[in-house]
Amino acid sequence: MKWTDQLIDCVAAATPGGYLPAGPPATEPIAWAAVSLAAAGRPGAARRAADWLANAQQRDGAVGVTADQSTPAWPTSLSILAWLAAQQADGAHSYQDNIQRAVDWALEAKGRTAPRKPQIGHDTMLVGWSWAADTHSWLEPTAMFVKALRQAGYADHPRVREGVRLLTDRLLPSGGANYGNTMVLGQELLAHAQPTGIVLWALAGEAIEDARLPQAIDYLSNSLTAQTTTASLAYAVLGLTVQNARPAEADSWLEEAFDRQSADRPSLYKLALLAAALPSPAPTPLASASS
Amino acid sequence: MNPHDKTFIDRRSLLGLGGLAAAGLVAMPAVERLRKSRSPVFVAKGQSYTGELAQTIRDGLLACDVQPNSFQGKRVLLKPNLVEPSRRIPHMTTHPAMIVAAADVFRDWGAEVSVGEAPGHVRDTEMALAESGVGEALSDGGLRFADLNYEEVGWRRNRGKYSGLKGIYLPRSVLEADVVVSMPKMKTHHWVGVTCGMKNFYGVMPGIKYGWPKNVLHHNGIPQTVADINATLPRTMTIVDGVDCMEGDGPILGSVKHMGLVVVGANLPAVDATVARIMGLDPTKIEYLRLASHHLGTIDDAYLDQRGEAWQDVRSPFHILDEAHLQKLRATPDGELVS
Repeated sequence: MKWTDQLIDCVAAATPGGYLPAGPPATEPIAWAAVSLAAAGRPGAARRAADWLANAQQRDGAVGVTADQSTPAWPTSLSILAWLAAQQADGAHSYQDNIQRAVDWALEAKGRTAPRKPQIGHDTMLVGWSWAADTHSWLEPTAMFVKALRQAGYADHPRVREGVRLLTDRLLPSGGANYGNTMVLGQELLAHAQPTGIVLWALAGEAIEDARLPQAIDYLSNSLTAQTTTASLAYAVLGLTVQNARPAEADSWLEEAFDRQSADRPSLYKLALLAAALPSPAPTPLASASS
Repeated sequence: MNPHDKTFIDRRSLLGLGGLAAAGLVAMPAVERLRKSRSPVFVAKGQSYTGELAQTIRDGLLACDVQPNSFQGKRVLLKPNLVEPSRRIPHMTTHPAMIVAAADVFRDWGAEVSVGEAPGHVRDTEMALAESGVGEALSDGGLRFADLNYEEVGWRRNRGKYSGLKGIYLPRSVLEADVVVSMPKMKTHHWVGVTCGMKNFYGVMPGIKYGWPKNVLHHNGIPQTVADINATLPRTMTIVDGVDCMEGDGPILGSVKHMGLVVVGANLPAVDATVARIMGLDPTKIEYLRLASHHLGTIDDAYLDQRGEAWQDVRSPFHILDEAHLQKLRATPDGELVS
C-alpha cells in the first residue's frame, strides 16, 4: 500500500479527533480531515467529518474551537471549507444551510481596530478577523476567513477585499510573515514557515502587485527542509503549491513527516494537515488557486 | 505540600487576607504586616549550562526553606519560556539544561515531573520544541511534555481581580499540578520592562482560548492580567535561567548578555523584584510587580532575605530601549541606551 493511502486511512480512522492524541475532538483538525478526505475521493468519510461540524454549529452560525468550547469561533472559517469540500465530493448540497449561516456569522465578525502608532509597523485600522471576540485582527484567522469566503463565492465582498489588504500589509519587508506584527519599536519581527504558508495559501489567485509577495515565496521556498516540523511543513507546502512553487522535494518531506508521526502517537490535526498538503488529483477548495 | 512549609503558608495567607482586605473585613495594617513578611530569594553566580545546575537548583530551593519531603508523590509541572524559539537566538528561551536539571531535582525528591508550555506566538508547538532544543532534551531525559495551547481547559474564578476578567481558562496539566514551577529566561521586555517568573506564566494560558498572541490578555492589560494569572494559579515557585540573558529589545529580538546566574524562590514577586534590581531596574516602577506586591508577596528589599549572593554584588544594568515607557523604569539614570 502506498504511504499516501496509509495516511488517508489514518485520517479516516482518527476522525473525529483533536490536536493531541488523547485530546478532545476539535473543529480545526476535523475540518482539515473533511477537506483532505474529500480531496482523496473518500466522500463517505468526508461526510462524517462534515456532519460532526454541522452538529457543532451553533444557532448563530458559529463553530467553536472544540465540542466543549463554543468560543472562540475562528474555526468557523475552516468549517465552511470543509462543508464545501464535502459537498463537492458527493455532488450534493447537503450543507448549504450550514455554509450560509456560517458565512453570515463570518461577515459580522470583526477584529478590533486601533489608532495607528509609530511603534507598530502594521496598519492597525484594517479590519480582518481575530482569534477571539473583541480583540485585534491577526494574520492567520484573517487568512482562513478570506480563503473560506472566497471559496463560498464572496471574493468581491468588501470584507474579503479588506482582508486581502490586511494580509498583504502584514507581510514582512524582508520576506515571509510573523504571527501578524511586522515591525515593533523599529525592529522587524521574525518570519516563520506556518504563518507564511497560510498567508500564501489565502492570497492565491489574488492580483497583488507587491514585492513582498514574491519575497514571501522565496523565504518559504528557502526555509523548508526535511526537518521542518509537521504543521509548518504542511501549511508551507499548501501555500507554495497554490502559488505554483511547490518544492520538488515536497512529497518526500511529507512522507518523512508522516513516518515521524507514525512512530509516535499521531494526532488527527497533524495527519489531516499532511493529507491536505498531498498533491490533489482534482481541484479542491483547499488547493484551488481560484475561487 | 507540607502544610508546615512556611513559604506556602505565607502565600496562602497573603492571598486569603488580600481577599478579605478587599472586602473590607480586616484592617489594612494586618495585610501590610503579611505583605512585608520576609521572603527568601537565592542567587547563585558563576553558573554555566555545562555545570552542576542540578546541585545549584537543589541548594537554592533548600536555601529558600523548601521541604524536599513535601514533593513525594506530587505532580510538578515545569514551565519554561519557549515564546517564539529560533536556533539563531538561543538566549530568547530557557536553556534545555536548566529544565533537565530542575526535573532531576524534583524527581530525586519523589515528584512526578512533566514539562508544559503554551508558546505565545507560534501555533506549531513541535517547531518550538525543535528550535529551542527542548524537545530533544525532554526525549533524552524521559520527560513528558504537555502542549498547553491545545489541552482540555477548565475555567477558574479570577482570584486577582486586577483586570476585568471574571475568570481564567487553564489547561488540564496546570489544573492537575500540585506545583507549577516558572522557569523563565532573564530578559528585558519592550512593553513592561522585565519578563521573569511572573510574566512567564502568560505561557500557561491556552492559545486555543486566548489566541496567538494571547490578545485577550493584552486587551485587558498586561500588568493586570499578569497579576491575575499569578493569583489564580495553583502553588508556584520559580527557577530563573539567568546564565545567558537577553537585554535591549527583549523578549524576542534583544542581544545576549552573559550573567552566569541562577535565581530561585517560592515568592515570585520577590524573585522578580530581585532580578529587576540586578538588571538595574526599579521593581516598584514595574506595574505588575507593584500590583502583585499588594497581595502576592513583598517586593520591598528590606523584607527580602537574600540567600547565596547579594543582588548588589552581581548587579549589571541591562541595556533597555530608548523609549520613555522603559527609561522611567531605571533604578538609576546611568546605563547605555539602544534604539
